[in-house]
Amino acid sequence: MIRPYRHNWRGYLFIAPATVYLALFAFFPMILAGWMSLHRWHLLKDEHPFVGLANFTAMTQDPFFRNAVKNTLAYAVFTVPLGVITSLAVAVLVSRPLRGVGFFRTLYYIPAVSSQVAISMVWIWILLPGEQGLINYCLGRLNAWLGADLPTSTNFLGRPGWAMAALVAMSLWIGLGPRMIIFLAGIQSIPETLYEAAALDGCGTWRRFWYVTLPLLGPTTLFVTVTTTIASFQLFTPVYMITHGGPRRTTDVVLYHIYKEAWQKFEIGMASAQSYVLFAMVLAAAALQLWVMRRGLTEQAE
Amino acid sequence: MKNRRAAGRGSRMRRRTSTFLGRVALGVLAALAGVGPVGCAGDETPDQVTLRVANWGSPAVESSFMALERQFLREFEQLHPGVRVQVEQIPGFGQYAPKLLMMHVSGSVPDVISLDASSGAAFMDNGVLRDLKPYIERDASFRLDDYFGNLVKIFRRGDKLYSIPLDFTPMMMYYNRKLFDAAGLPYPRPGWTWEDFRRTAGALTIRDPNPVRPPRQYGFNFINVMPFWVLWLWTNGADVLSPDGRKAGGHFDGPGSVEAVQFLTDLMLKDHVAPTLEESKAAGVDLFRSGQAAMDLKGHWMMIDYRADGIDFGVVDLPTNTGSPTTVVYLTGLSITSRARHPDLAWEYVKFMTGREVQIRRVASGLAISGNRHAAAHYAGNPVEDAFIAAVEYARPPWGATVERYPFIEGLGEEMLEDLLYSKGSLGVAAQLRRTAALIDAALSEP
Repeated sequence: MIRPYRHNWRGYLFIAPATVYLALFAFFPMILAGWMSLHRWHLLKDEHPFVGLANFTAMTQDPFFRNAVKNTLAYAVFTVPLGVITSLAVAVLVSRPLRGVGFFRTLYYIPAVSSQVAISMVWIWILLPGEQGLINYCLGRLNAWLGADLPTSTNFLGRPGWAMAALVAMSLWIGLGPRMIIFLAGIQSIPETLYEAAALDGCGTWRRFWYVTLPLLGPTTLFVTVTTTIASFQLFTPVYMITHGGPRRTTDVVLYHIYKEAWQKFEIGMASAQSYVLFAMVLAAAALQLWVMRRGLTEQAE
Repeated sequence: MKNRRAAGRGSRMRRRTSTFLGRVALGVLAALAGVGPVGCAGDETPDQVTLRVANWGSPAVESSFMALERQFLREFEQLHPGVRVQVEQIPGFGQYAPKLLMMHVSGSVPDVISLDASSGAAFMDNGVLRDLKPYIERDASFRLDDYFGNLVKIFRRGDKLYSIPLDFTPMMMYYNRKLFDAAGLPYPRPGWTWEDFRRTAGALTIRDPNPVRPPRQYGFNFINVMPFWVLWLWTNGADVLSPDGRKAGGHFDGPGSVEAVQFLTDLMLKDHVAPTLEESKAAGVDLFRSGQAAMDLKGHWMMIDYRADGIDFGVVDLPTNTGSPTTVVYLTGLSITSRARHPDLAWEYVKFMTGREVQIRRVASGLAISGNRHAAAHYAGNPVEDAFIAAVEYARPPWGATVERYPFIEGLGEEMLEDLLYSKGSLGVAAQLRRTAALIDAALSEP
């Protein structure tokens, strides 16, 4: 017997903790940040004069904020496609009933459950110049064995292009596990009969992937792309731990910029305004992806 | 039978669900209650008071000094029955001030905080701290003259006083006597100039036979920390900001500053008597401590490590071009917060910790020099300690004691030097200083 909606008060009890939590720690701060973004709000001063949209107009004039937006976009442009492709490839590999596949699935997932701070420390050690750094050390050993002359003192974190590349590489590795799991679930929900039918029609491995796996993973790919994009706009911990935005501000991303605005300059109002701009960027990117890919998906269905 | 068992299981389930929900509700309430004073003593009763004290450092680092600090707390608790002192350590470089300021805003700031003068302006100029003058006037057992006047001055705003000096260190030039002896060089003496320094550093640098490899020994150890290298501007008669602390243009990019930064980068890029940033990173150790650098510009606290490493070191004034000795004094004070719950007890604690007896035992570790003149005098009479104590007469306070955004400015400065060094100087010292001075002025001019 289905009771009328209004009598199902116990249902509200079940969602109450999550609702209270979201209201207090997500919606309330969001509204408050919106209010603060319209003020000149110094963390420690009692006066918070209303300035309207002055924070937003000042931001457009600020070369450092523009630089941070540019860096964030550059990071996303590299991270999202590379992240989606690598995790799809790995998911296809570990979806096969190979020996020890459980071990590899676990292995790829480990970074996702590790502390990002700990991961950052390990990467610093990997990237250091000279014999202290794992990469440079390995290059040195290669030189010794092969008599080659590979450079062994590259300061990956001190060269503008390299530092960003290092962050992208790191994010591919950290995000691999969660993205792989989602792709794996998608792959495993594809009925075996479709592959059999394709095989009967004479499709090889590659064609089966291209005409069966990939189209049926459409919604999964959409989901992974959107979540990866959102995550890439929220890059913070590795920048905070490893590069501090340098060298030459080439890794100063929006979230790190906001952090400095709030905690080094105490300008909470400006930091809130920048947070809203970041929010708008994420929203726009996600909406664009949904629109483009949904159109693709419906066309496919027709 | 089957039905009854099912019903029984159902009611058990319901009971379990209701207690679960109850616990969730309690948890939410507890979380809400905890939004206020984090770590505040819930066990406080009329005859049991908890005094909260904030300090930097990590609870993970254990040392004999930490054991000594705990010993002081126990002694204080014995003197004040019914009082428990709760120390809250805030780890993380650069995290201390932001965390405490956030605690102030949220109303959960501890009663007593250690105040680092380098980030002191944000605290002293925003009502975070309590004026200690009334406490001093009321308390016949406390004499402000017991503390170095030059240090007390740093914590003053008009006739208000916001902190009592705990300990301090001027920055000095350490040198490794063994490496000087090996090179047959006389030890540096006060009054030496930059040119003397440059020559000495060159004579102490030992090159690797393979020119591609870094030197085996450096004359000077350099790390890109502006609180250290700002002294090269000062000893050249230049500065980051105008005397009133409002403008960088004409100062940070003035001729004296250009000369200083050029000199500094030349030490690494041209003379190569100091490690480049890459070499420091690749070495992975403090090159002075490992005996691979003959001189280092550091504070008193490094002595603990140097002694532990068995380094035979001496200390001398910084080389200067101005004809008079110049250095900075980095200073810690104890302050009572404006939102302290137990201000009177906090005052007793400040008095106890900065008093002569505790101070003599505390600075025996080599950490710093006591802000209490009597305790500092206790250690006078050896050349190293005397060199440090003499500096308090002429040492200047850090800019962060008066300019709220100075920690941010230091970030810009370090960024600039890093860019310059990584570019091998091709960005141009004068151009980089001009650009950075403009950035500093933009940060300072925001109302």
